[in-house]
Amino acid sequence: MSPAGCSHVNGYKVDNWKQNLRVIYQCFVWSGTAETRRRKAKSCVCHMCGAHLNRLHSCLYCVFFGCFTKKHIHEHAKNKRHNLAIDLLYGGIYCFVCQDYIYDKDMEQIAKEEQRKAWKLQGIALSLSAVSACVCFVFTGIGEKYTTWEPTKRELELLRHNPKRRKITTNCTIGLRGLINLGNTCFMNCIVQALTHTPLLRDFFLSDRHKCEMQSNSCLVCEMSQLFQEFYSGHRSPHIPFRLLHLVWTHARHLAGYEQQDAHEFLIAALDVLHRHCKGDTINDNGKKANNPNHCNCIIDQIFTGGLQSDVTCQVCHGVSTTIDPFWDISLDLPGSSTPFWPLSPGGDGSTVNGESHLSGSTTLTDCLRRFTRPEHLGSSAKIKCGGCHSYQESTKQLTMKKLPIVACFHLKRFEHSAKLRRKITTYVSFPLELDMTPFMASSKESRMNGQYQQSVDVLNNDNKYSLFAVVNHQGTLESGHYTSFIRQHKDQWFKCDDAIITKASIKDVLDSEGYLLFYHKQFLEYE
Amino acid sequence: MSKESRMKATVNQKLTEMGERERLKELLRAKLTECGWKDQMKAHCKEVIKEKGLEQITVEDLVVEVTPKGRALVPDSVKKELLHRIRTFLSQHGT
Repeated sequence: MSPAGCSHVNGYKVDNWKQNLRVIYQCFVWSGTAETRRRKAKSCVCHMCGAHLNRLHSCLYCVFFGCFTKKHIHEHAKNKRHNLAIDLLYGGIYCFVCQDYIYDKDMEQIAKEEQRKAWKLQGIALSLSAVSACVCFVFTGIGEKYTTWEPTKRELELLRHNPKRRKITTNCTIGLRGLINLGNTCFMNCIVQALTHTPLLRDFFLSDRHKCEMQSNSCLVCEMSQLFQEFYSGHRSPHIPFRLLHLVWTHARHLAGYEQQDAHEFLIAALDVLHRHCKGDTINDNGKKANNPNHCNCIIDQIFTGGLQSDVTCQVCHGVSTTIDPFWDISLDLPGSSTPFWPLSPGGDGSTVNGESHLSGSTTLTDCLRRFTRPEHLGSSAKIKCGGCHSYQESTKQLTMKKLPIVACFHLKRFEHSAKLRRKITTYVSFPLELDMTPFMASSKESRMNGQYQQSVDVLNNDNKYSLFAVVNHQGTLESGHYTSFIRQHKDQWFKCDDAIITKASIKDVLDSEGYLLFYHKQFLEYE
Repeated sequence: MSKESRMKATVNQKLTEMGERERLKELLRAKLTECGWKDQMKAHCKEVIKEKGLEQITVEDLVVEVTPKGRALVPDSVKKELLHRIRTFLSQHGT
């Protein structure tokens, strides 16, 4: 079984054999075009028994297809003395004299080229699992198929020059690092902890995907990249994020200064600056750089941007006006605020789906989401101009999720800044480890309106299921308080991050905490 | 050919013509990798090769040894999902 093939192929390698072989691959093994597919569908059956299963092989010397399992191709080989056949499923070349598959370098080369051509024509979608640290991630957007990683010469060189290796076991703490508080900067530290433990973001930065186009040294994305390097370096001493703080002050002036800031505001400002600085990495379908800031495809948009659908229904003609706005987070009102929380609208059985604990009537995250997506009657003082009636009419407005982001961030509005009072709402809101967003989708609302209460496809549709991976908490009052965070490592291990101090936490600690910012990650990803 | 095999052939033709067969293959590949089936099979192949010896082993030996275990280890959820996909496709492109 040497890579030089067997000597019996030499009888085949005459005249125009390369072209003939290519035609066989294109027509019968990897059919890329609709025409070749039609031909393949019609003609690829066994000439002796008509079956298309049973490991069909094609003779290389003449037009004959035969089953391998039923030995039909073997009979043909013996009778006609045609010693070579090709497996139509995988493209392997079988030699009947050697009685095994052979690997001839020239033929392998042709096989690889034809396979790649066919894949490109088909543009097959990939899918990957988000929670495991999957390095085999192709960001090009072209129809490239997943192949296992083979190191290049340069990479082998680098590996030899840097012999130190780190083994990742289930209880190793790589990726965990404390952050020094530089003067009320706990709001920034928590967000940094959450971002460095966002699996997709981590994969993006650790595979060096950022190509910086900024001339100065003030690129926040480069600084994030550095931060990831620091976190995964294996150092256990706390990191001092002074450069990050300085860059944030430079690019988001409203957050500068040593007073305590809002962690949620920092999150949005950070995502905004990262999104703006990612210009060099955005590539749209044609391979050109995207110039439109609203139609961006940078890593921040790929991970965090969702679509919120707003339907305004005219109460007179029942015409619906729909708009879809992008969002990076969902801000949820809480009971106890000046805006009334109850009553909820009927329909949408969220709480039982998500299995949250209802401790003697405590509010759940699903309750908040149901309230967020309920139809709201806009009073007579807020009439909307209806396109159907051509006049101002009363209407109801309803928000639903049109497109879910890969990472969903929920912001519980605990800080009330109304004209009457400034206070913090400390009501306990219970949130689940696993969240199913199906009841809050625009598509679910449409099915409910059409009278379908259960979609059987949803049982198999894993697309709306999320897992909690980070929680940011605020202790104290509006005037003086402290932020800490919980982050998830290795699927089921949680750690509490209190500035420079990292301690192991139990799932109960996490779920019993007050909750201010909740970060959820999609469980399964489909690559478009 | 029996009625069943004729039906199989027709279904296969339709799937191949519309390119759905390739898409289903890719979906199956991804699902089997995700659930760890691919790694299990790889480990089993290695064992078989160790037993039989690297010089004597043929592809046929591996196929005979590995196929029954491979078929048995496919998770039910994967089978269900593919069946559902095929049913949906056939209902949309009526045969």
